[in-house]
Amino acid sequence: MAATAGASPLISMHSRPSHSFQHGLTTLRVSGLKPVSLCYYGRSNLSFRMRPPPVRLQVSCAPKPETVEKVCNIVKKQLALPDDSTVTGESKFAALGADSLDTVEIVMGLEEEFGISVEEESAQSIATVQDAADLIEKLIEKK
Amino acid sequence: MGASSSPKLSGMQKQVLSLYRGFLRAARSKSAEDRHKIESIVSGEFRRNSKQVDRKNFLYIEYLLRRGQKQLDQLKSPDTVGLSSLNVSVSETIDPKP
Repeated sequence: MAATAGASPLISMHSRPSHSFQHGLTTLRVSGLKPVSLCYYGRSNLSFRMRPPPVRLQVSCAPKPETVEKVCNIVKKQLALPDDSTVTGESKFAALGADSLDTVEIVMGLEEEFGISVEEESAQSIATVQDAADLIEKLIEKK
Repeated sequence: MGASSSPKLSGMQKQVLSLYRGFLRAARSKSAEDRHKIESIVSGEFRRNSKQVDRKNFLYIEYLLRRGQKQLDQLKSPDTVGLSSLNVSVSETIDPKP
Protein backbone atom coordinates (compact mmCIF):
# COMPACT_ATOMS: atom_id res chain seq x y z
CA MET A 1 0.00 0.00 0.00
CA ALA A 2 2.66 2.41 1.06
CA ALA A 3 4.68 1.38 -1.94
CA THR A 4 1.84 2.01 -4.40
CA ALA A 5 0.94 5.25 -2.65
CA GLY A 6 4.55 6.21 -3.07
CA ALA A 7 4.55 5.04 -6.66
CA SER A 8 1.58 7.04 -7.87
CA PRO A 9 2.97 10.40 -6.81
CA LEU A 10 6.19 9.31 -8.36
CA ILE A 11 4.42 8.74 -11.66
CA SER A 12 2.74 12.09 -11.52
CA MET A 13 6.06 13.56 -10.62
CA HIS A 14 7.39 12.06 -13.79
CA SER A 15 4.58 13.32 -15.89
CA ARG A 16 4.84 16.85 -14.63
CA PRO A 17 8.46 17.34 -15.33
CA SER A 18 8.00 15.80 -18.75
CA HIS A 19 5.26 18.33 -19.41
CA SER A 20 7.34 21.20 -18.31
CA PHE A 21 10.20 19.72 -20.23
CA GLN A 22 8.11 19.81 -23.35
CA HIS A 23 7.22 23.39 -22.61
CA GLY A 24 10.84 24.09 -22.21
CA LEU A 25 11.47 22.46 -25.53
CA THR A 26 8.87 24.45 -27.35
CA THR A 27 10.10 27.71 -25.99
CA LEU A 28 13.57 26.64 -26.92
CA ARG A 29 12.38 25.89 -30.42
CA VAL A 30 10.64 29.20 -30.75
CA SER A 31 13.65 31.10 -29.71
CA GLY A 32 15.71 28.84 -31.91
CA LEU A 33 13.74 30.22 -34.83
CA LYS A 34 15.12 33.61 -34.06
CA PRO A 35 18.80 33.07 -33.66
CA VAL A 36 19.45 36.58 -34.78
CA SER A 37 17.43 38.13 -31.99
CA LEU A 38 19.47 36.13 -29.50
CA CYS A 39 22.72 37.22 -31.02
CA TYR A 40 21.82 40.87 -30.69
CA TYR A 41 21.03 40.40 -27.09
CA GLY A 42 21.79 43.99 -26.21
CA ARG A 43 19.27 45.20 -28.77
CA SER A 44 16.80 42.39 -28.26
CA ASN A 45 13.88 44.79 -28.22
CA LEU A 46 14.67 46.04 -31.69
CA SER A 47 15.23 42.70 -33.30
CA PHE A 48 12.18 41.15 -31.67
CA ARG A 49 10.07 43.81 -33.24
CA MET A 50 11.55 43.14 -36.59
CA ARG A 51 10.48 39.55 -36.66
CA PRO A 52 6.91 38.53 -35.94
CA PRO A 53 4.56 41.26 -37.23
CA PRO A 54 7.09 43.31 -39.12
CA VAL A 55 4.97 46.24 -40.16
CA ARG A 56 2.58 46.96 -37.34
CA LEU A 57 4.95 47.38 -34.44
CA GLN A 58 7.31 49.76 -36.20
CA VAL A 59 4.39 51.62 -37.51
CA SER A 60 2.97 52.31 -34.10
CA CYS A 61 5.57 55.04 -33.70
CA ALA A 62 4.29 57.24 -36.53
CA PRO A 63 3.06 56.31 -40.01
CA LYS A 64 -0.06 54.24 -40.58
CA PRO A 65 0.34 50.64 -41.69
CA GLU A 66 -1.57 51.40 -44.88
CA THR A 67 0.91 54.08 -45.80
CA VAL A 68 3.89 51.84 -45.25
CA GLU A 69 2.23 49.06 -47.18
CA LYS A 70 1.36 51.35 -50.06
CA VAL A 71 4.92 52.60 -50.13
CA CYS A 72 6.22 49.03 -50.11
CA ASN A 73 4.01 48.15 -53.05
CA ILE A 74 5.11 51.16 -55.06
CA VAL A 75 8.73 50.40 -54.31
CA LYS A 76 8.23 46.83 -55.46
CA LYS A 77 6.50 47.93 -58.62
CA GLN A 78 9.06 50.58 -59.42
CA LEU A 79 12.01 48.26 -58.91
CA ALA A 80 10.22 45.36 -60.59
CA LEU A 81 10.82 43.14 -57.60
CA PRO A 82 9.13 39.73 -57.52
CA ASP A 83 5.88 39.59 -55.55
CA ASP A 84 7.26 37.27 -52.92
CA SER A 85 10.15 39.55 -52.05
CA THR A 86 9.83 41.14 -48.65
CA VAL A 87 9.87 44.88 -48.40
CA THR A 88 9.38 46.29 -44.92
CA GLY A 89 9.61 49.67 -43.32
CA GLU A 90 13.25 49.14 -42.56
CA SER A 91 14.18 48.19 -46.09
CA LYS A 92 16.77 50.49 -47.57
CA PHE A 93 16.21 51.42 -51.19
CA ALA A 94 19.89 50.89 -51.86
CA ALA A 95 19.73 47.41 -50.32
CA LEU A 96 16.84 46.55 -52.63
CA GLY A 97 19.04 47.35 -55.59
CA ALA A 98 17.85 50.89 -56.25
CA ASP A 99 20.32 53.49 -57.48
CA SER A 100 19.77 57.22 -57.10
CA LEU A 101 17.82 57.38 -60.37
CA ASP A 102 15.51 54.63 -59.12
CA THR A 103 15.04 56.57 -55.91
CA VAL A 104 13.94 59.62 -57.90
CA GLU A 105 11.46 57.43 -59.75
CA ILE A 106 10.16 55.97 -56.51
CA VAL A 107 9.63 59.42 -55.02
CA MET A 108 7.85 60.56 -58.18
CA GLY A 109 5.64 57.48 -58.06
CA LEU A 110 4.82 58.21 -54.42
CA GLU A 111 3.96 61.81 -55.26
CA GLU A 112 1.39 60.68 -57.74
CA GLU A 113 -0.03 57.93 -55.59
CA PHE A 114 -0.56 60.16 -52.59
CA GLY A 115 -1.22 63.38 -54.48
CA ILE A 116 1.59 65.25 -52.79
CA SER A 117 4.60 67.19 -53.89
CA VAL A 118 7.94 66.32 -52.35
CA GLU A 119 10.54 69.03 -52.25
CA GLU A 120 13.86 68.25 -53.75
CA GLU A 121 15.74 68.57 -50.53
CA SER A 122 13.56 66.14 -48.62
CA ALA A 123 13.42 63.81 -51.60
CA GLN A 124 17.15 63.35 -51.47
CA SER A 125 17.20 62.43 -47.80
CA ILE A 126 14.85 59.49 -48.25
CA ALA A 127 16.75 56.25 -47.90
CA THR A 128 14.27 53.76 -46.47
CA VAL A 129 10.62 52.89 -46.84
CA GLN A 130 10.14 54.21 -43.34
CA ASP A 131 11.63 57.60 -44.27
CA ALA A 132 9.28 57.81 -47.21
CA ALA A 133 6.23 56.89 -45.15
CA ASP A 134 7.12 59.43 -42.46
CA LEU A 135 7.51 62.18 -45.02
CA ILE A 136 4.27 61.30 -46.77
CA GLU A 137 2.27 61.43 -43.54
CA LYS A 138 3.81 64.77 -42.75
CA LEU A 139 2.90 66.15 -46.15
CA ILE A 140 -0.61 64.76 -46.07
CA GLU A 141 -1.15 66.36 -42.70
CA LYS A 142 -0.10 69.73 -44.05
CA LYS A 143 -2.56 69.55 -46.90
CA MET B 1 17.65 59.46 -40.44
CA GLY B 2 18.57 56.90 -43.07
CA ALA B 3 20.97 59.11 -44.94
CA SER B 4 23.90 57.87 -42.91
CA SER B 5 24.59 54.78 -44.97
CA SER B 6 23.91 56.21 -48.40
CA PRO B 7 26.92 58.09 -49.71
CA LYS B 8 26.61 61.84 -49.77
CA LEU B 9 25.79 63.10 -53.20
CA SER B 10 27.99 65.65 -54.86
CA GLY B 11 26.55 68.91 -56.11
CA MET B 12 26.76 67.68 -59.65
CA GLN B 13 25.00 64.43 -58.86
CA LYS B 14 22.24 66.43 -57.24
CA GLN B 15 21.94 68.54 -60.36
CA VAL B 16 21.63 65.42 -62.48
CA LEU B 17 18.97 63.97 -60.23
CA SER B 18 17.16 67.26 -60.19
CA LEU B 19 17.20 67.34 -63.99
CA TYR B 20 15.88 63.80 -64.09
CA ARG B 21 13.11 64.77 -61.71
CA GLY B 22 12.34 67.74 -63.94
CA PHE B 23 12.00 65.50 -66.97
CA LEU B 24 9.70 63.08 -65.19
CA ARG B 25 7.63 65.99 -63.98
CA ALA B 26 7.39 67.51 -67.43
CA ALA B 27 6.38 64.12 -68.81
CA ARG B 28 3.34 64.12 -66.56
CA SER B 29 1.80 66.95 -68.52
CA LYS B 30 1.77 64.96 -71.74
CA SER B 31 -0.73 62.39 -72.95
CA ALA B 32 -0.50 58.96 -71.40
CA GLU B 33 1.02 57.38 -74.45
CA ASP B 34 3.57 60.12 -75.03
CA ARG B 35 4.34 60.23 -71.38
CA HIS B 36 5.24 56.61 -71.34
CA LYS B 37 7.47 57.03 -74.34
CA ILE B 38 9.14 60.10 -72.88
CA GLU B 39 9.77 58.33 -69.61
CA SER B 40 11.37 55.35 -71.24
CA ILE B 41 13.60 57.48 -73.48
CA VAL B 42 14.63 59.80 -70.66
CA SER B 43 15.24 56.98 -68.25
CA GLY B 44 17.24 55.08 -70.84
CA GLU B 45 19.31 58.15 -71.63
CA PHE B 46 20.15 58.90 -68.01
CA ARG B 47 20.99 55.30 -67.25
CA ARG B 48 23.13 54.92 -70.30
CA ASN B 49 25.08 58.05 -69.47
CA SER B 50 25.38 57.05 -65.85
CA LYS B 51 27.20 53.94 -66.98
CA GLN B 52 29.14 55.27 -69.91
CA VAL B 53 30.30 58.66 -68.76
CA ASP B 54 33.32 58.76 -66.53
CA ARG B 55 32.27 60.28 -63.23
CA LYS B 56 35.35 62.49 -63.24
CA ASN B 57 34.62 63.92 -66.66
CA PHE B 58 33.12 67.08 -65.21
CA LEU B 59 33.30 69.12 -68.38
CA TYR B 60 31.32 66.60 -70.34
CA ILE B 61 28.81 66.10 -67.55
CA GLU B 62 28.36 69.83 -67.35
CA TYR B 63 27.75 69.92 -71.05
CA LEU B 64 25.20 67.13 -70.76
CA LEU B 65 23.51 68.95 -67.92
CA ARG B 66 23.22 72.13 -69.95
CA ARG B 67 21.98 70.27 -72.98
CA GLY B 68 19.49 68.38 -70.86
CA GLN B 69 18.24 71.57 -69.29
CA LYS B 70 17.61 73.06 -72.73
CA GLN B 71 15.83 69.94 -73.86
CA LEU B 72 13.78 70.00 -70.71
CA ASP B 73 12.77 73.59 -71.37
CA GLN B 74 11.60 72.57 -74.81
CA LEU B 75 9.75 69.59 -73.45
CA LYS B 76 7.99 71.76 -70.91
CA SER B 77 6.43 73.87 -73.60
CA PRO B 78 2.81 72.87 -74.20
CA ASP B 79 3.57 72.87 -77.90
CA THR B 80 5.82 69.90 -77.45
CA VAL B 81 3.72 66.79 -77.40
CA GLY B 82 6.30 64.09 -77.59
CA LEU B 83 9.87 63.03 -77.65
CA SER B 84 11.68 60.81 -80.05
CA SER B 85 15.15 59.46 -80.03
CA LEU B 86 17.45 58.76 -82.91
CA ASN B 87 19.42 55.60 -82.76
CA VAL B 88 22.70 57.34 -83.40
CA SER B 89 23.92 56.39 -79.97
CA VAL B 90 24.66 59.81 -78.52
CA SER B 91 21.88 62.01 -79.75
CA GLU B 92 18.49 62.55 -78.26
CA THR B 93 16.19 64.79 -80.22
CA ILE B 94 13.14 66.61 -79.14
CA ASP B 95 10.45 67.14 -81.72
CA PRO B 96 10.47 70.86 -82.38
CA LYS B 97 6.80 70.86 -83.26
CA PRO B 98 4.22 68.35 -84.32
